[in-house]
Amino acid sequence: MIARFLLKLAAMTSMVTPVTGTALAQSDASVHIPPHERVVLSNGVTLIIVPQRDVPLIACNALLRGGELGDLAGKPGVASLVAGLLEKGAGERDAFQFADAVEGVGGSFGASAGPESITIRGQFLARDQKLMIELLGAALLQPRFDEAELEKLRKRQIELIKAAKDSDPSELIGTYGRAFLFRDHPYGRPVIGNESTLATIGRQEVLDYYRTQFGADRLTLIFAGDVDAPALKAAVTKLFGGWHKAAGSAPALVAPARLRQRRVLLIDSPGSVQTYFWIGNVGVDKRYPARAALDLVNTLYGGRFTSILNTELRINSGLSYGARSGFTRGSVAGEFAIRSFAQTENTGKAIDLALQTLTRLRTDGVTGEMLDSARAYLLGQFPMEFETAADWVAALGELELYRLPADYINGYASALRHVTAKDSRTVIEQAFPTADSLAIVLIGDAARIREQVKDYGPVTEAALTRPAFDTASGP
Amino acid sequence: MRRRLAALLSDCKKRPTALFALLALGPLAGTAAPASSGASGMVGVSGRETVRAMTLANGMKVIVWPVKNIPNVALYNWVRAGSRNEAPGITGLAHFFEHMMFNGTTRRQPGEFDRLMESRGGSNNAYTSDDVTVYQDWFPRDALDLVFDLESDRVANLAFAPKVIESERGVVYSERRLRVEDNSQGLLAEQVQAAAFVAHPYHFPTIGWPSDIQSWRVEDLQRFFRTHYAPNNLTLVLAGDVVPDQVFALARKYFEPIPRQEPPEPVRTREPEQLGERLVVVRRKAQTPLLQYAYKAPAASDPRGPAVNLLLSILVDGDASRLHRVLVEQQKVAIEVSGHWQEGFDPGLLWLYLTLPEGSDPTDVQEILDAELANLVSRGVTDAELRRAKNLITAGFWKRIATIDGKAHLLGEYEVFHGDWLKMFDAPMQFESVRREEVQAAAREILDRRRRTVGVLMPTNEPEGAGAP
Repeated sequence: MIARFLLKLAAMTSMVTPVTGTALAQSDASVHIPPHERVVLSNGVTLIIVPQRDVPLIACNALLRGGELGDLAGKPGVASLVAGLLEKGAGERDAFQFADAVEGVGGSFGASAGPESITIRGQFLARDQKLMIELLGAALLQPRFDEAELEKLRKRQIELIKAAKDSDPSELIGTYGRAFLFRDHPYGRPVIGNESTLATIGRQEVLDYYRTQFGADRLTLIFAGDVDAPALKAAVTKLFGGWHKAAGSAPALVAPARLRQRRVLLIDSPGSVQTYFWIGNVGVDKRYPARAALDLVNTLYGGRFTSILNTELRINSGLSYGARSGFTRGSVAGEFAIRSFAQTENTGKAIDLALQTLTRLRTDGVTGEMLDSARAYLLGQFPMEFETAADWVAALGELELYRLPADYINGYASALRHVTAKDSRTVIEQAFPTADSLAIVLIGDAARIREQVKDYGPVTEAALTRPAFDTASGP
Repeated sequence: MRRRLAALLSDCKKRPTALFALLALGPLAGTAAPASSGASGMVGVSGRETVRAMTLANGMKVIVWPVKNIPNVALYNWVRAGSRNEAPGITGLAHFFEHMMFNGTTRRQPGEFDRLMESRGGSNNAYTSDDVTVYQDWFPRDALDLVFDLESDRVANLAFAPKVIESERGVVYSERRLRVEDNSQGLLAEQVQAAAFVAHPYHFPTIGWPSDIQSWRVEDLQRFFRTHYAPNNLTLVLAGDVVPDQVFALARKYFEPIPRQEPPEPVRTREPEQLGERLVVVRRKAQTPLLQYAYKAPAASDPRGPAVNLLLSILVDGDASRLHRVLVEQQKVAIEVSGHWQEGFDPGLLWLYLTLPEGSDPTDVQEILDAELANLVSRGVTDAELRRAKNLITAGFWKRIATIDGKAHLLGEYEVFHGDWLKMFDAPMQFESVRREEVQAAAREILDRRRRTVGVLMPTNEPEGAGAP
């Protein structure tokens, strides 16, 4: 099937924002964290249980602080391999036996690394609670890190990156974009690693990561659904209550500096018929106080179908299938980025239009009527983000990871209702980049677009097949 | 309903069985509590008694599943028209039409549909497949009246502004570049599907051939609209915080005045029996070779359907599945394996998609893959494999049905492709009752070399159109 527009683009904001028409029932959109239990064991393990009796399923998240931050500079991808190996043999099960134990009962279990954490996400039938805990315990406490499995996984990861370059270059453009924008800051590292670094990662580095970054003080376990809470608490305490702390210090993060000029990275993909582009700068962090206003303005600028950006690049001009913008916010400021694509010969035209919308946002701001529409939109969509137990474990995990208050969820609808025109001007000033200070990344046929993009700033070129995402030799 | 290509979008790589693919990863919530019973532990689906359906005087069917856990509603409007209803010269028109449904009526300017819906808290999307076009809205319950007004207006009063046709043509071409021309998997699958069907319109790519995208005319759109967008060719499904009688009243108010029309001409062409294996080779600048198998497979309504889905699950669903285990983990000749059964009105295809490591020879991989498939056909599947596949599919079903979106989508799928939404409630039981011999029989019939098309993408160093010997 082919859809009207890409949900993938729509999903680029990290915490989706959502909201009522002014006249609509105001109580509707409010979302409240369900009653739950939060316990911190003496060794630092945090346990959260959200009982929801209606269905016989349990969703769980095991969250380990650190993620890509725990990787040695210059060798990204270790955290991602560690995550991938947790289920490739643990405790008494080899890789196949582990997969068979999960899938045999219709469960799911998968770990992945992010910029600041490794997360295991699982879902099991309530009757398999015991098996779920057992598998979590094995993966976290007794991973085998088998040499042959490591070899296989890193080779496969390298090949998957190459395959993505062949079939969906736009999926990788954010990775190129962050490397080009953040440079040496940890947010610039590709969490998945790159073809060169992955090839050099050995078992010792995996073991070192596990030793220094895994431990009771880094772990949060969240369960929601039809749980047997007393049994769950007892099992978790028994399994994890004696776990040692991580041997290494928790990685610290400094806020990245904003880019003060423009620079361009052109990734050459000869024969490509379309140019995929990413335009960004450093934005704001998770604790940004004016988050509701930020979400409203981004909704209007590039967060929904009728946004300013999509109206220019798709609706009015027909240049692109879609254009979106979003903020990725972490413990420190992540990026604001625009993403779109256009036929090769229209590359310059499309980028010009995108830059003009940024300038216009700053000069014209948004009207009260626009704000009301975005408010209704976000309030109307908000409850759909919290429909299932899996939604709740993810949302509570986010609060824990970034140490956010419950009001981050409970107070969001109210915060949206109170955003004023003045607030919108403030966030445009504070969080959105100006058109003259941007990192611009393009993937396309360089021979045919070089001329079109040369005036945007100093251009660095690299081949799409180059086995890295960063461009160390750039300006 | 189904992604044409499992590997195209990253969120559905691991769940390739079409029926229960994608969508909400959440577990069950709401009123659809499964009653614990049977070997899998969750077979009965409750909620059957709360769903209500009615047919308007003009033949349009409306199905409502009231669920109160969030104050929102999911609406699906199913149109029984897809690229299957096209002909040379107008390929891609069903999908282009889907785009044009958002671009103005005699009552509303282009763009007003989206502006109004978003300003009342709603979002929307739509998709087109070989068989159907589906319009989706997700909105707060207070916007129900507006959504009915908007949805009925575009069925009754669609208008075509020449300027908008041109800009939307550009949008669709851009979509084609993204999904096909700049995409190894999409490019190969398009060629394989076209080779697999020589007579039936499943031959046409849903996005349309480039020359047709460039030449659709307003008269083509008008004719397509008159032919297919009659109320008697539509099915409306809602799930969420609504009262069925209110929904029916709105349906009567907004949709019933739209006159019934002559049903569209049925698709008469049946694909003749395939008499031997077909091979498609695509040379493209790329790093990784691809291998695709497309076997002739039954239509969605075929009674062997559950067995086919279980077969596919045993082959590719999860790290413990046969093909993943052998090709990716043991022999290491593939880096990814997925599959997909194209379940449509007419007999379609059962696909296997393999991504190979750089520098590998697809012929070698084919040998290993063929041996595995032959082994399954001759020896059948084990009890443990079948149990796993049943549990995975049932769990996937429950995860989908946990959301109002999944509920509306599933009810619509069963009504449109299986003839009755009620059958959805028996789905887990249908899967549960399949025996090993039935899976083996399905394998024997479908995994037949003479009835398959093999696609190979061979990387070259030259951009497209150059250098291939």
